[in-house]
Amino acid sequence: MTTLTPYSNSHQAPQHLTGLAAWWATLSAMTKKELLIMLRYPVELVASFGQVFLIVIILTLAGLMFSRSGTQASAENSATAGLVVYGFILFIFVSDTMWTIGYNVRREQKQGTLEQLYLSPASKFNSLLSRVTVTLVWTGTLCIASALLMSAMIGKLPFANLPLGLYFLILSLFGTFGVGFAFAAITLRVREAGQTLANFFQFTFMVLCAPFFPFSALPGWMQNIARFIPLSYSVDAFRTTLMGTSPELAPLQVEFIIVTVFGLVMPFLGYWMYRREEDAARAKGSLSEY
Amino acid sequence: MTIVIKPTFAQKLSAVLAETRLRMINISRYPGQLALEIVIPVIFASMPMLLGRATAGADAGANFAANTGTTNYVAFLLIGSNIFTLVSNAFWHIAYWLRFEQETGTLEAVYLTPTSSLTLASGVAIYSVIRGLIAAFLSYIIGCLVFRVNPFQGDVLLALAFIFVGLIPLYAVAFLFGALVLKVKESNALVGLMQWVVSFLMGIFFPITVLPPFVKFIAWLFPPTWITNGVRSSLLGVGFFFGHWYFDMAVLWAFLFIAPLFSFAVFNRVERGVKANEGVGQF
Repeated sequence: MTTLTPYSNSHQAPQHLTGLAAWWATLSAMTKKELLIMLRYPVELVASFGQVFLIVIILTLAGLMFSRSGTQASAENSATAGLVVYGFILFIFVSDTMWTIGYNVRREQKQGTLEQLYLSPASKFNSLLSRVTVTLVWTGTLCIASALLMSAMIGKLPFANLPLGLYFLILSLFGTFGVGFAFAAITLRVREAGQTLANFFQFTFMVLCAPFFPFSALPGWMQNIARFIPLSYSVDAFRTTLMGTSPELAPLQVEFIIVTVFGLVMPFLGYWMYRREEDAARAKGSLSEY
Repeated sequence: MTIVIKPTFAQKLSAVLAETRLRMINISRYPGQLALEIVIPVIFASMPMLLGRATAGADAGANFAANTGTTNYVAFLLIGSNIFTLVSNAFWHIAYWLRFEQETGTLEAVYLTPTSSLTLASGVAIYSVIRGLIAAFLSYIIGCLVFRVNPFQGDVLLALAFIFVGLIPLYAVAFLFGALVLKVKESNALVGLMQWVVSFLMGIFFPITVLPPFVKFIAWLFPPTWITNGVRSSLLGVGFFFGHWYFDMAVLWAFLFIAPLFSFAVFNRVERGVKANEGVGQF
């Protein structure tokens, strides 16, 4: 009698469904699938590139209307551009995470493919992680390109402490992905209202976490609320480290601890929330509910 | 024997209003979305406002006046973001209507009825105008009240005239864009990009005089540029492109006559092509 084993006809794929090799193979396959889907829509690819440039340019030009030298290149204008660009980098990652990780789960729920995933032995965590990879690759490229564009247009952007800035960025991204997992959990529960909720969270972040202006511009009571949101410290620490200015919300050491804890804890917390909601959805039979 | 039924004007009007009513009923089910539509322009305008205040401090108003022609940056930015809402609505609603009908296969069914796509598009446009205008007016007034600025200053009637005259060429451009969506079939990406292209060209948060000459010339070909500057000049006195309001208004009237004819011609051509290639109901 012949025993059928998974991937028995493949020379490259692992022979087991558990272990690091299988985990890695699943993640690679899922990531490849996500990247392939992304490449299948060239119009969307080009459009998102153009869109990002335009948003950065519009907000920078708007900021420069308050500058003494207008749109002329100057140190003051480079600082304004830096403020917008660095804030924008975190904004676009938060925004993309909400949609590509959080809201995409809803899309799969509508299409019925989320339910299908439970019929396969594939890791559910990898399913979420593969979406992170796409965000990292694509959004990362957009951020680098927009920073280069602004440097060319307005003048050199400030990079006061690049290694520490990168540390803050990486830890902030870990935390952001955790937020994305948590949002995916919420989306499973609220279903269609997830779209409105994603918009709401995006705009709350835009106002309270001050990615496009200094925290000092917010009224006192809003600054107090901002202090309760870890992402505010991510924005403040990342931006002020690269711009070489003093942080506004707390001393740098305190912000360092908050961002580190946020980056290390939030992914686990978010995933734990996601699994809880997923189990609840399975029990209720709403994994593929429209 | 083929019987061709030509609908009367009253029947066409009935179809237009039915389409508008359908959209209105549909959107009334999503109050959260409607509330966000009012809040978003205020939040969006507050970004450069807060950035400018924080970076320029006490000189914010003076610097802004030197670059734009008015110290009232609150109203200047709110006008930009609210006209952006109108423009964005026009593009989203027309393009989405076409794409949604195409995806669900109902666009194909529309061609089997005596109703034309132009009739239904007019219904969608009326719905979009009502929704967009209510959201924009409320948002402008709320924004002005939040930032403690008088919303009714300057020549309000002239500003309204610029908006109402500009709406027809604006929807004509949106219809032209609908033809592109019908052809390319990627409405999300195209609308996402297009709304930012238009907002950049119309000078959502800045006067278009800061743009390079070639870009400025392209901006002048877009009706939203004339609406935005017309409203700003009427309310805030930043200066009409041609010195007097009636010259700028004349340009908008020229758009009003040319743009619909041009876009309908293009749309019909694309529609015929799509029908011939059996791409009407394509996902």
